[in-house]
Amino acid sequence: MHEEPYRWLEAIQNRREYIVDQIKEGTPVFALSRPEGVLLLGVGSGQSKIFEIFDRHGLAALGNPVDIEKLRQTAIEAAHTEGFNRSSDDVTLRRLVSFALSPALKNSFEQIFSPPNMIEAILAEVGPTRSKDAIVRLRFDGNHEYSASGIAVASPVWGTESIAAEWLREVINKDDKLGSVISLCLTAWKALNEDNINDGLKVPKKKVLNIPGKTVEAVLLDRKAKGNVHYRSLDTSDL
Amino acid sequence: MSDPRAMNGDFLSLLPKHPFPHLEQLGKQMSPLEATTVFAFHCKEGVLFAGDHRATSGNVIFSDCTEKILELDELSIMAIAGSPAIALEMARTLRTAFEFYRRSQLQAMSLSAKVRALSRLLRDNLPMTLQGVGAVAPLFAGQDSKGDKAAPTIYFYDPLGANFEAANYAASGSGSGHIKSVLSYLEKWGHPRPADMDLPVSVNLANRLLITAAEFDAATGGVKPETKSFATIKLLSKSGVRSLDANEQMKYWKAN
Repeated sequence: MHEEPYRWLEAIQNRREYIVDQIKEGTPVFALSRPEGVLLLGVGSGQSKIFEIFDRHGLAALGNPVDIEKLRQTAIEAAHTEGFNRSSDDVTLRRLVSFALSPALKNSFEQIFSPPNMIEAILAEVGPTRSKDAIVRLRFDGNHEYSASGIAVASPVWGTESIAAEWLREVINKDDKLGSVISLCLTAWKALNEDNINDGLKVPKKKVLNIPGKTVEAVLLDRKAKGNVHYRSLDTSDL
Repeated sequence: MSDPRAMNGDFLSLLPKHPFPHLEQLGKQMSPLEATTVFAFHCKEGVLFAGDHRATSGNVIFSDCTEKILELDELSIMAIAGSPAIALEMARTLRTAFEFYRRSQLQAMSLSAKVRALSRLLRDNLPMTLQGVGAVAPLFAGQDSKGDKAAPTIYFYDPLGANFEAANYAASGSGSGHIKSVLSYLEKWGHPRPADMDLPVSVNLANRLLITAAEFDAATGGVKPETKSFATIKLLSKSGVRSLDANEQMKYWKAN
């Protein structure tokens, strides 16, 4: 097959379509840089979507749970090895994504005879100030892009996530409290999940802080945390 | 004249002629750096850890700004006495191991596993301990969870890795004998006993113990309330580990 470029390209295209089809049942996850830190948000039915990676780093992902677990373990191992051999400050999102995660995902995607990684993810790093925060959207084929606006959405449907991110950029004010931001994210989540992107993206009259029958998972990479660990789970009922 | 029994190039026959200096002697010549006098006792709020700031090398004061009470994670503390080079590396290894386990397994390591992890590091350090240049005799305290069910427990170790649970208090380092004597007295006849003391009284007791030990032990030092130099003090309580800075200690000292 490798000797015949057309067949290889066709196989890659088939693989891409297969992965997109497999993860279409996944639900969106969000990451937003806020004055308090970086907010990570996901909604699940018992399965966790938000994870701690290192002192200042978190992961939000959707897709096959086994593949999420593989990515999570790879990220944790790479971060802790670097943190132990050098220092906590040397563990940066840029190096983690560029040298550990992205190449592994790309290799895996292009090995057309091996099972693909069915995952879409966002990785985030909280900095001492908002301008030092880093949020990266990582795709199943290893492609990744940094969010310049401090907002990233990962959705199983590619076209819609940029619409949702744009809407969040417009409606979230810089002084909004976390409760309001979570409410807007959950509104976007419902619109994306119900495939109602055109009519569903409207600022709710009453705060939305839960989704019936689902578990809202909200985590803050707390900028002002005492000690090394910045990862803090939020209880939405307190917001 | 050479030994007629030795073969040409016989290493064993050459050894007595050119003896290699014994490593123990080398260690004595080097006057290894040592950190001294740390202790922990149960108080009303939890377990209070305290240590002076002095590190010595033989009769030389190497530093009076050494941190010997180290937070390993939000549920455990280690206090170091002995060789700082080895002890600090052990603390760094444990800190990474505990956090790695918690993040990768999505649950904290159990207290008994943490106690064993430190034992194993001490046992692995056996060659350095026997050479007399890298012995470490740490204290450790931890609890399995936060909240009302938290039960902080103190452990002390011998330099070969055996761990022992301390009922009320433990101390290590060159000034520990003096401190253990006072704590033993207070446990038997104190009113209140250390375990019944509230935080301000416990903190003042810790500073007084170090000042007392410094009067008898040259390797204990660095606590001078008149210059706002206090002990390193950390508290392990039901809300986790908390450091008490010099300002807080000064407040308690003045209120005394």
